[in-house]
Amino acid sequence: MLRCKLSLPCWLPLMTGLCVLVLTVGCGKNPEAQFAWRDSTLDLLPKAREGVETAVNDAFGTPHDLVAWDKLPVHFGGVQGVVQPPAEGEKLPANQFHVQWDGSPDGVGAGSELLWMTGAIAKSKHPTAVVVKYDDVTKTLELKSKGEAPAAGDRLAVGLGSQLQLGRMVYMKNCNHCHGVAGDGNGPTAQYLNPRPRDYRLGLFKFTSTLSSEKAAREDLDRIITYGIPGTYMPSFLLLGNNDGGKEKAAVVEYVRWLAMRGEMEKRLVDELSGDYSESGLVTEAEKEKKSYADAKSEYDKARKAGNKDAEKPEPAQALSQLKKAAGEELKKFLEEDFPGTINDTSDFIADAWKRADDPASLIVPTVARVTDDAASRERGRLLYMSDKAKCYTCHGAKGRGNGPAIEDFWKKPGSNDTYARRGLHDTWGNPLPPRDLTRGQYRGGRRPIDVFARVYAGIKGTPMPAFGGTVLKDSDIWDIVNYVMSLPFEEQIPSAKPAAAPHMAATEPVGQ
Amino acid sequence: MSTVTPDVGHPGAGGHDHDSHGHHGHGHAEPSPLSLLWQLPTFSCDHKVIGLQFLITTLMMLMVGGALALGVRWQLAFPWERMPILGDTIFKADGGQIAPETYTMLVTMHASVMIFLVIIPILAGAFGNFLIPLQIGADDMAFPLLNALSYWFMWPAIACFAASFFFGGGPANGWTSYPLLSALPEASPASGMAQTLWLIGLTLIGVSSMMGSVNYMTTIINMRAPGMTLFRMPLTIWSMFITAILQAFALPVLTAAGFMLVADRTLGTCFFIPSGIVVNNAAPTIGGGQPLLWQHLFWFYSHPAVYIMLLPAMGMVSDMMACMSRKPIFGYKPMVYSLAAIAGLGFIVWGHHMFTSGMNPALGMTFMVSTILIALPSAVKTFNWLGTMWGGRIQFNAVMLNCIAFVSMFIVGGLSGIFMAAVPVDIYIHDTYFIVAHFHYVLFGATLFGCFGAIQFWFPKMFGRMMNDTLGKVHFVLTFLAFNCTFFPMHLLGVAGFPRRYADPYHFPYLEHLLPLNQFMTIAAIVMGFSQFLLLANFFGSMFFGKRCGRNPWNANGLEWSTPSPPGHGNFDVPPVCYHGPYEYSSPLSHDKDFLPQTEYVPLAQRQAVAQSGH
Amino acid sequence: MAGRFWAIFFMLAAVVTVGFSAIGPEFRWWFPGDGHAHSTLGKKIDDLFYLILIIVTVTYIGTHVVLGYVLWRGAGIQKNDKVWFSHGSHALEVIWTIVPSGILLFIALYQMDVWRNYRVKSYFPPKTEAVAEVTARQFEWRIRYPARGKKLQPRPQPDDIYTVNDIRVPAGQPVAISLRTDDVQHAIFIPELRVKQDAVPGLVIPVWFEVTDTGTYDMVCAELCGWGHYKMKARVVATSEEDFEAWKANAAKEQFYDGLPAAPEAVAAKAGDE
Repeated sequence: MLRCKLSLPCWLPLMTGLCVLVLTVGCGKNPEAQFAWRDSTLDLLPKAREGVETAVNDAFGTPHDLVAWDKLPVHFGGVQGVVQPPAEGEKLPANQFHVQWDGSPDGVGAGSELLWMTGAIAKSKHPTAVVVKYDDVTKTLELKSKGEAPAAGDRLAVGLGSQLQLGRMVYMKNCNHCHGVAGDGNGPTAQYLNPRPRDYRLGLFKFTSTLSSEKAAREDLDRIITYGIPGTYMPSFLLLGNNDGGKEKAAVVEYVRWLAMRGEMEKRLVDELSGDYSESGLVTEAEKEKKSYADAKSEYDKARKAGNKDAEKPEPAQALSQLKKAAGEELKKFLEEDFPGTINDTSDFIADAWKRADDPASLIVPTVARVTDDAASRERGRLLYMSDKAKCYTCHGAKGRGNGPAIEDFWKKPGSNDTYARRGLHDTWGNPLPPRDLTRGQYRGGRRPIDVFARVYAGIKGTPMPAFGGTVLKDSDIWDIVNYVMSLPFEEQIPSAKPAAAPHMAATEPVGQ
Repeated sequence: MSTVTPDVGHPGAGGHDHDSHGHHGHGHAEPSPLSLLWQLPTFSCDHKVIGLQFLITTLMMLMVGGALALGVRWQLAFPWERMPILGDTIFKADGGQIAPETYTMLVTMHASVMIFLVIIPILAGAFGNFLIPLQIGADDMAFPLLNALSYWFMWPAIACFAASFFFGGGPANGWTSYPLLSALPEASPASGMAQTLWLIGLTLIGVSSMMGSVNYMTTIINMRAPGMTLFRMPLTIWSMFITAILQAFALPVLTAAGFMLVADRTLGTCFFIPSGIVVNNAAPTIGGGQPLLWQHLFWFYSHPAVYIMLLPAMGMVSDMMACMSRKPIFGYKPMVYSLAAIAGLGFIVWGHHMFTSGMNPALGMTFMVSTILIALPSAVKTFNWLGTMWGGRIQFNAVMLNCIAFVSMFIVGGLSGIFMAAVPVDIYIHDTYFIVAHFHYVLFGATLFGCFGAIQFWFPKMFGRMMNDTLGKVHFVLTFLAFNCTFFPMHLLGVAGFPRRYADPYHFPYLEHLLPLNQFMTIAAIVMGFSQFLLLANFFGSMFFGKRCGRNPWNANGLEWSTPSPPGHGNFDVPPVCYHGPYEYSSPLSHDKDFLPQTEYVPLAQRQAVAQSGH
Repeated sequence: MAGRFWAIFFMLAAVVTVGFSAIGPEFRWWFPGDGHAHSTLGKKIDDLFYLILIIVTVTYIGTHVVLGYVLWRGAGIQKNDKVWFSHGSHALEVIWTIVPSGILLFIALYQMDVWRNYRVKSYFPPKTEAVAEVTARQFEWRIRYPARGKKLQPRPQPDDIYTVNDIRVPAGQPVAISLRTDDVQHAIFIPELRVKQDAVPGLVIPVWFEVTDTGTYDMVCAELCGWGHYKMKARVVATSEEDFEAWKANAAKEQFYDGLPAAPEAVAAKAGDE
């Protein structure tokens, strides 16, 4: 038997050891959040993947090092200005100068971060500085660094990206666990939700007030964040930021737009490359070549056997490694010559599209006011609903219960000949999408008549709900449908859609209508 | 008159610290100190081994539950920041920031582990098993095999709990598991397989407790030593007996409710599910059930369970306190009656957990009266403890300090209970941190401090060695201070309307300013968590390096102190006969020493002489 | 002496906890907002709370003074001193059973009125009208109001007005809300009004309160309802009767907006009259 006369000191090491163990395990290196890449990006050949990742990282940065790329129509926050020459006879220290601001220098003050955009300092090693003091009366900035003095006409930005930073902070607190760090709709909680959280990376948002070809306006995202999406796990963030005057909400809207742009940029660049330079694509191609060679070979052998000496011997199939090598060389050339242009075009395209979304011209504005919501209108709406022109019933069902015949079909995946494994409709993200049950009175995109009007007019983006506005249906027709659809939840209470009941309804109409 | 030791064969019974272990010349061989420890991995049916198995398992689970609690505290102090270990491993992609369902999982599993795998088994399982036969003078439990089974049924339960972590991130519906959250698999990530496994684990714990309680009742009724009348039983035995009765009557209800919920989840029954409920866009429920039924059934068990988690500690503290004050317990019979009253009233107060649930308001009134009245026996016990210490020669060792802490913390926990017993006030503080403060003061402040004391008090009986008193005091001081720093501010948080089970309370404007206070509490909680390593070090270190001791190192009266340390198989080398109550400390019947073992016979003439002299 | 040190130790712990509670309100570690209830029942609840607080504080201090004294004395008794050999006192037991039971029963009976007033329907203030139906769902509150001049119907009406996470009530008069839930169990909790009530699946529970002061009050969920439990951030806005009606008119206008700048009034008016 072990006997030891030592008391306290003997097991102090044991205890200390345990504590140290727990502490070292607990205080390990801080893991950094990552923007996850698309599967198709990860599938690219290493060089191609690097090209895409570099391009996207250059333009957007990483979660801990966000890049505010001024080409994008995002309010990154902060204010820009130009250094003014000192007034005549005025003598300023090297670290003080006057600034002409582009906007209002609200957030500028002690501690603000300053970035030189043009001029000698901008090209130097340290293009940043910290503001010590700002006098708004004389518009004088005092900097901490006493290095090189800026020249008049140099552009500077203060607090650049502060809104994006705030947006990211708010996003990580409130949105991340469903929508994921990269906005890929794949946060830790996402897999349990039905419907799945939105994946922003297609640049698509379902419920917008814009025309069917346009992106979502800032106001649309703000509406969704404020009021939530009933019938889904997207809750209302009406009181986000308490009483900060909508600062946090505006910031998170910008951050979501920015993530959407980042995702779309990545997607478009990958789509550009994945046709020729993806691992799985090359494997398929190699297999295809192998097969065609085998076919040609057997053909050739047959011909030789038959005595045909003229038969041409087929070229042997290229092995995967050969294909990869060839693709690699081609890729190198492509990356050097064409890719910068592709990046430029893609970013132009994305920036334009998002800029356009906030243009009033992209808004859906009905040409006529809502048609009076009476029995006649609802009946017209019902007939349209059942007509071959609109064919609403095929999905939403004859009674609006979301059980039209379309939900029994196998639908084709977009851009391919395969069908989905499950019956029924799917959205662009590949998730099953049952048509809305219109009798439940639950309106995901909002319950204002204009919201329902917009759904019919411009369709629901990324879903099989088509746009009827402008072409198929007149605005007054759409209002009739809106009136009919919005009466569906109350069918039992107000038998409006049934012609027999119309007189009764008319009797309750106020005089003069 | 010289000391009368009726049985010379008891080397240690006289309290003269005979160093007799290891010697084989005594007629009765003293077993080696670690003889019980080496039997731990065996399927032993010896009640002492089973008790020790329970004790060591629960100490391990205490660390698990504590770690889960630290996760909770971390999130409350540093919301959405990187959480060490858990965040680093599971949520690497999110920068170590945990998901909200992980927070609710931590809350749920902290409670489940602490209640079902620590407090209930450490009291009834560990101390109940170890002490009942020893204190009543029996050689083992009435049903030794059943006893072993009751321990080994813990493991499938632990396995179920452990396995549940791998489904949907672990059970996260609160330890109360209110339907529909727990009844509909779609309702939350944790409501799937994890919830089913949790319920199965709970049922297995119930089976384990049930086997124990049947055994305790039978043993206590049938196997007492000659002379051990009911009112000569130590209060530990009384409390274990009453606890066993509580368990036997309350547990079947929980088991039934658990089966009903499992049936709702897997077989499509609808005991708790009303009709037409759509969760997560799943098909509407068929329904016809009532969610409130679960609450009634659950609390019908779980309120008595609160006393299952408290009464044995009360009993043990009474034993230790009398010994360490060198004085008889004050008001032995009132102590027994108040134990019984708490148990009896405990069955008719469950509704106070449901004041805001929407049950019939008339029920609220009756439950309020019964709940407030249950404070009465608790108050009587507290006064009696104070009476016990009054005028005693208090030994301020680690055991006694833990017991004093028990009384002090129980007063806080009991008084805060009055607020929530009063329905109108409860409307406000229900489901706030006030409740959290209250039950931690009772379950940790009272029960666990009682357990810490009991571990150190009966450790010599388990291993024939003393635990280190200095280390025990350091552990006590750290734990006591950190405990109060962690949990006392929770009362104030509760008054400030700080709701329970919130992963991020600070985005509510009225709670924003409470973050610094929470950070203070978290630091205290971390200190408290790490202090428990001292306990472990003391516990395991003392097994090997502790000071050797004889049969009765504390000069205590109970029958267990007349056995060798540790007792061999069959416990008593001489069949004990009980002559007194258990608390005859400083009795005039024993002149030269301040205690009178229950086995010590005092001749009639001497008793008469003392009686005549005015005592 | 070591024993005396421990007596002081336990006394100090008690002193610190009492002191900590006493300074709590200074740091706003006390009732939220300005520390006062803003509903009629809430004021009564606060009174009861403070009544219990006084009784409890006196008891706490009393027991701990005794504890400290006992320990102090116990520490002074030397090894060979005689201790007080006593098995208890019948008289004392009777006293400390009867006195607390009297106090406790008083507390219990004294609370009855407020509870009855709060929950028993026949004791609600007369003419308490349901102003809105509050439906809890994972993880938000959806609220439905009847159109102006109408009464709340159990089922949705075409002209109902909807808000989310935003309960509007007129101040200065008793109002009720019909509380229900769409999915799992939730609980409405408005700390500054001292209102709390679970929303139980399958039940519609009327909750009444009378806000005494106009203002905005935070509202939270107080029953674990899933991973987003903490997200159910809402507010109760109590305004004057006129402001409430004006808000309602405006909300109706907003809700029946048809996208044309000029048209909303007409449509809203029409929808409101329907």
